[in-house]
Amino acid sequence: MSLIHIQNLNKYFKVLNRREGMSGAFRDLFSGDYKIVKAVDGISYDIEVGEIVGYIGPNGAGKSTTIKMMTGILKPTDGVILVNGHTPYANRIRQAQIMGVVFGQRTQLWWDLPVIESFKILKEIYIVDQITFDRHMGMFNDLVGLKPLYSQQVRTLSLGQRMLCDITASFLHNPQVVFLDEPTIGLDVAIKAKIRSVIKELNQTRKTTIILTTHDLGDVEALCHRIIIIDKGKILYDGDIKKVTILFGAYRTLKVQFDDFSNSTLNDLDIKLKKRFGEKNDISIGQTEEFWTDVTIDQACTPLSDVLSLVMTNFNVFDVRIVEISMESVVQKIYNGALG
Amino acid sequence: MNRLRPYLALLRGSYMVGMIYRYGFLFTILGNIVYLGVAFYLWRSIYQNVRTLHGLTFDQTFFYVALGSAVFILFKAYADWMISYDIREGMIAVYLTKPLDYQFYALFTSLGAALMNLTAITVPTVLLLTLVFKVHITPGPGLVVFPISLILAFLISFNFDYLVGLMAFYNESVWGLTITKEVILTVLSGALIPLQFFPDAIQKILLVLPFQAIYYTPLMMVTQPDQNLVIFLQMLAVQFLWVIATFVITRLVYTQAIKVLRVSGG
Repeated sequence: MSLIHIQNLNKYFKVLNRREGMSGAFRDLFSGDYKIVKAVDGISYDIEVGEIVGYIGPNGAGKSTTIKMMTGILKPTDGVILVNGHTPYANRIRQAQIMGVVFGQRTQLWWDLPVIESFKILKEIYIVDQITFDRHMGMFNDLVGLKPLYSQQVRTLSLGQRMLCDITASFLHNPQVVFLDEPTIGLDVAIKAKIRSVIKELNQTRKTTIILTTHDLGDVEALCHRIIIIDKGKILYDGDIKKVTILFGAYRTLKVQFDDFSNSTLNDLDIKLKKRFGEKNDISIGQTEEFWTDVTIDQACTPLSDVLSLVMTNFNVFDVRIVEISMESVVQKIYNGALG
Repeated sequence: MNRLRPYLALLRGSYMVGMIYRYGFLFTILGNIVYLGVAFYLWRSIYQNVRTLHGLTFDQTFFYVALGSAVFILFKAYADWMISYDIREGMIAVYLTKPLDYQFYALFTSLGAALMNLTAITVPTVLLLTLVFKVHITPGPGLVVFPISLILAFLISFNFDYLVGLMAFYNESVWGLTITKEVILTVLSGALIPLQFFPDAIQKILLVLPFQAIYYTPLMMVTQPDQNLVIFLQMLAVQFLWVIATFVITRLVYTQAIKVLRVSGG
C-alpha cells in the first residue's frame, strides 16, 4: 500500500468578486457576487514510502492547497485523500504525530526564545523520550552543526539558519512523511546547497518520505527522482525527473537590458535572430521583468555565445544576465507539447 | 499525564517568554501604583462622612478595588490578540499540523503568561497593599476557597478571550470587538467597583450574567471572608457552571469557525 493515496481530489474556493474603488468596496459589503476558483482540480497520484517527490508549479498552481489537504488543515471539496491509510482532516491530531511540516514563510519555532527551547517544547509536544531526543539532536548537530545556535533567540537568526532549525525541528519526532513547502525561498546559493544535502541525508538514513514544493528547479534536480508538475490545479506531468531535465537542462535564458529600448527593439531583435539562426530554431523572446528582455534558447541547437555576440554587436547593451529556465517557461513549454 | 505533557511544555515556554520581557512589567507595576494612589484618595473622600456603604467599610471597598486591579492585570494574557493574530497571519496552519488541540494550546500559553503576571505584578501589588496601604485582611473560610475561585474565574475569562479571538475567522480585524469586550468586562464584572454600588435592578441582572463570576465572585471572597462556607461553595458552583457553559459555547463556535478555514482556504 502506498503511503499517500490521492484520487480525483478537488478543492474549490468561493471568492468574492471585488469591485474597484471606494464605491466598489462599499457595494462589495452587500454583494453576493461570488466566483468559484478551482484551486485543485481532479488530481490523482500515489506516493510510496521513502520517496522524495518534487511538487512544483508556478505561483497559484495549487501546490500549497494540496499540501494543506494532505496535512489535514483543509478539507477537500471531494475526492479521496489517504495518508498512511487515514483521512487527514478527520483524524487531524493523530495524523499530526506521523508527519512533519515546514512552511517556508512561517516558523514553528518560538520567536522570542533561544533555539534549544523550541526543540525541547517540540520534544514534549510529540512525546519524544530523552534518549531518542539526545540521539536525534546529536545526529542533527553532526549534520548541520546547530549547536552554536542553541542559545540564540530565534528572531536573531538569519533566514538560512532559521530554515535549518525549522527543518531539523520537523524531523525531531521521526515522522513517516515530511512536507517541505518552499524551504529554500529567499536563500543564497551556499545555504541552499546545505539544506539540500541535509534533506537528502535524512531521507536516506531514515527512509522518511519527503514531499517538496518549490519554485526552484535546482532543488528538484538535486533531490528528487520523481517530479509532479502542477498548474491551474491540474497535473501536467508526473514521472521521472530525468525526462524533464534532459529537456530543460539545456535551456538558458539570456536576460538583456538595452540602453535605448523602444517598441521596435524587440521586433528588430527577433528579425536579426531569425535571420542568423533560422526560423525553426527554438529561440523565444519575451519580457517577464521590467527593463529586461528575455531570450530563451536551447543550447543543444544554438550556442549561447553566438546569440550573446549577435546581441552585443547589434545593440547598445547596458547589462546582461544568464539564468536557468524559469518554472513559468517550463510550464509554458509543456503546454506547447514539449513532453509529448 | 502523558496527554498533559505537551501543554505543560507550552505553559513553561510562554512563562519563559514573559521572563525575557520582564522590564515591561516594571511599567505595569508603576502604572498600577499610580492607579491605586488615586483610588485610595477617591474612596477615602467618598467614605469621609460614613462608616459603611452598601454594607462595606472603607477598608473592604478599597481592598476590593485594589485587589481587583491586581487580578485584572493577572488575567491579561492577551489570548484574544494572540489568536486573532495567528488566524490573520495564517500561523494557525502551523499549529494545526501539530498533535495539539488549538483551544488547549491557547489556554496553556495564556496560563503561562498569567503565571508570569502573578509573579511579576500581582504578588508585588498585594505586598504593596499590605505594607504601604496597611490594608487589614480578616481571616475566614473565604481565603481558603479564593485560589480555587481565581482559577475558575481565569478559565471563564480565557473562554471570553478565546471566543473573541475566534471571530478573526469571520472578520479580519477583531480590534473593535476586543475593546468592546474589555469595556463590558471591566464594568459589568465588578472589576472596577463592587456590584453592591449598582442600583438594585441592575444588580439583579448582573448577577445572572457570566461576567460577575470573573471578578466579583473571587473578590468578594476575600473582601468578606468571614461568612458561612456553604455560601462560598454555592459561589464556586455557579462559577463552575459558567466554566462549563462558556467551554461548550467556545467548542461549538470553534467547530463552525474552523469550517470557514477548511472550506475557504487559509
